[in-house]
Amino acid sequence: MAQVSEIRRPNSTALPARPALLNGRSLWLLLLLLAIAWSLGQASVFGREIVNPGGWPLLLRFLHSSVRPDLSQEFLMLTFNAALITLGYAVCGVALSTLLGLLGGVLMSEVWWKALRTSRREKEDHHAPWLMARSVFAIPRAIHEVIWGLFFVNILGLTPLTAILAIAIPFGAITAKVFSEILDETPRRPMEALLHGGASPAKAMLYGLFPLAFPNVLSYTFYRLECSIRSSTILGLIGAGGLGYELLLSLQSLRYEQMWTLLYALFALNGATDYWSGLLRRRLGAVGRIELHMTHVARQPQHAPRQDIVVRASLTAAIALLVFSLWYVRPNPGQLLAPHTIERLVVVAGNSFPPDFMEQGSVLLRLSLQTLAMSILAMTFAGVTGVVLSFLAARNFLAPGGILLPADALWGWRLFSGGMLLLTRAMLLIARSIPPPIWALVLLFVLFPGLLPGALALGVYTMGILGRLMAEAVENLDERPLRALKAQGAPGPHVFLYAALPSTLPDYVAYILYRWEVTIRETVVVGLVGAGGLGRLLTEQLSNFDYRGVTATLICYLALTILVDLLSATVRRLLR
Amino acid sequence: MEDVQSLHGASADATPFADAPPVFELINVSHCFGDLIALRNINLRIGPGERVALVGPSGAGKSTLLNLLNGSLRPSAGVVRALGFDLAQLSPRALRQVQRQIGVVYQQFHLVDNLRVIHNVNAGALGRWSFLKAAWSLIWPQEVERAAQALAQVGILEKLYARTDQLSGGQQQRVALARVLVQDPVAILADEPISNLDPERGREIMDLLFRLSEKMRKTLVVSLHTIEYAYTHCHRIIGLREGGVLFDAPPAEVTPDMVRTLYRIAKE
Repeated sequence: MAQVSEIRRPNSTALPARPALLNGRSLWLLLLLLAIAWSLGQASVFGREIVNPGGWPLLLRFLHSSVRPDLSQEFLMLTFNAALITLGYAVCGVALSTLLGLLGGVLMSEVWWKALRTSRREKEDHHAPWLMARSVFAIPRAIHEVIWGLFFVNILGLTPLTAILAIAIPFGAITAKVFSEILDETPRRPMEALLHGGASPAKAMLYGLFPLAFPNVLSYTFYRLECSIRSSTILGLIGAGGLGYELLLSLQSLRYEQMWTLLYALFALNGATDYWSGLLRRRLGAVGRIELHMTHVARQPQHAPRQDIVVRASLTAAIALLVFSLWYVRPNPGQLLAPHTIERLVVVAGNSFPPDFMEQGSVLLRLSLQTLAMSILAMTFAGVTGVVLSFLAARNFLAPGGILLPADALWGWRLFSGGMLLLTRAMLLIARSIPPPIWALVLLFVLFPGLLPGALALGVYTMGILGRLMAEAVENLDERPLRALKAQGAPGPHVFLYAALPSTLPDYVAYILYRWEVTIRETVVVGLVGAGGLGRLLTEQLSNFDYRGVTATLICYLALTILVDLLSATVRRLLR
Repeated sequence: MEDVQSLHGASADATPFADAPPVFELINVSHCFGDLIALRNINLRIGPGERVALVGPSGAGKSTLLNLLNGSLRPSAGVVRALGFDLAQLSPRALRQVQRQIGVVYQQFHLVDNLRVIHNVNAGALGRWSFLKAAWSLIWPQEVERAAQALAQVGILEKLYARTDQLSGGQQQRVALARVLVQDPVAILADEPISNLDPERGREIMDLLFRLSEKMRKTLVVSLHTIEYAYTHCHRIIGLREGGVLFDAPPAEVTPDMVRTLYRIAKE
């Protein structure tokens, strides 16, 4: 101490002014706290009983069944078939959405229109076609798979094609947006060289841009497969068959032993897909999922990906899986052009317009606010728990040999932290494998109906997704600042606070905000089981064939989605 | 090889710090990464207030040696003592106590980019601070005067509240130096602190590092890619090559021939 003060700072130089506590960021934080309080009010958490003590025996019975699932041969066969159907829908849906995404991705990318201009030797920028492509793909993206599913059920009936299209259309639009971003961030020099050599834009892109973008495109396609399995399960709940459908049946008939058999199949299916996709992502050296949604420039993979045995085997397996799925679920594309399909489409379209706001105007407003509150509560829960669990679930953190635990720590600690790692990973897998409506129904054992069980169900499900992606981000973290603080003798919690948290939190917050855009669309899913908000109204209107009401509700959804997208984009820009 | 051996012997007697108990001591230390032998059979004593340059080609084991000195690595064989403690024998808590007395400056700075400068500087004090104080400081910065003093000493007081990633490379290395000043250790280890900077910025940082360690009588062990600063600023130059000590001598005794041998490309 005395030594430091030998050279004193001259008193004449003033300290720089301390930045005010109240700045743009803290204002948003304050706003967030207010929004959470308002949402809790909407869910009428205050001054009302939330927990239903009468439900505990039922919940215990449900949990107790987990150790004795129905393992009869007959039911195992049923579960196996259901799992194959869910997988089949997911694979076919992703395949179709990738096709749509490639087409849309090119049309939505700046680089394509620029290439077109270069080859036509035009000087000015034409933004019109690019903007048009962007807006055309924005609408299908805003509507959730389940709504698409309910729509196609009305047109095509409960056929495999309904499930596949319900996945492929919104997924295709999202994939197109991400692909266009990947294409725009891929280095352009090789393509430009080909263009200046006189190649057509399409050929220049195929030879000069796609090979470079391929690892990122492939990695994203496999990530979409993870999402698709979850969507395919949820679509089962509206009657499309598969694990989701069987789950709902066994839950409603109180056959919990059977339910657990189906749940274990679901965990296995999700776990295997997530593991496969994660392995491929690491092998490709492609950017993590979180980074794709941020402004980071896409990292180029370090080694030639197609030489890798895992990548080659995965590609072969994926094609085999697609062929098998097509054979197993047998979608009939001819259905799309069948006369009665078009007839029904005309009838539904005719009955849907003009939208009927009059009958339930005030109800619509109230339910829109409820839906917004539900999404805020869900994201608050998912964000907080996801951040905490992500550090526990990251392989390089508390785990043996990780940043905070030396490789030669006492074996007791290593056992404990290894156990924690497995436990949190299992928790996250279970949380994201079970579809939100099933979570909601389980929560309704012990919670009174209302917004809260719906919000919690969405929150738990989203926590599973966020926690895993964030754990991946922690694993990709630049460890050097952490190791530097550790080397100067700072205790573990302090290192976490000063190095791990600041270098991950901005990305986390940005990703949570992005996920909020997804969650506001997903509120419709818990509406299926009556958890309130617009989703519940929509389900009622659909079963009453009140199509004009449906259109009005959908417009409310669209408005909410746009509002949340705008808010999220604004705050994310502020965080950069 | 023979004359090198004799030089090594001579320097040990010539060092003015030979009598004081050493800050760092390595006894028969070797270290391997898998099959790769990074250091073989090193014996060294570094006294208090001594300024030592580690020079040698890349891959000679300079970074490994520095990592052994502050206990970030444990040697595969031999004993590493810092401040009189055998680092391999210490509990994690006791090791942290020793590490608080050893500051490190890195080639890549190793700062947290999206924190303000004040927090990166205050990070030097984390070993002394309670968790609550550390947490509160992120919201309302604590011990600002002390951080400001450190920043004034490295010449960038005006950057106190700037975001670290908006600083140039030279400024970031100054922040890293200020972090060490706030830590106020007995010894400073610097791992190629100027390899990432342009020559002018590098000279400034080197001058600063040597001036600070001289004024505050801190032991300094600095690894350098090139040997020039070692001549002008150090008491002692240790030449490392292929994991072994080639020479260990005061600058006056290091001849151009010895340097040529140090950087010579190995004959096949």
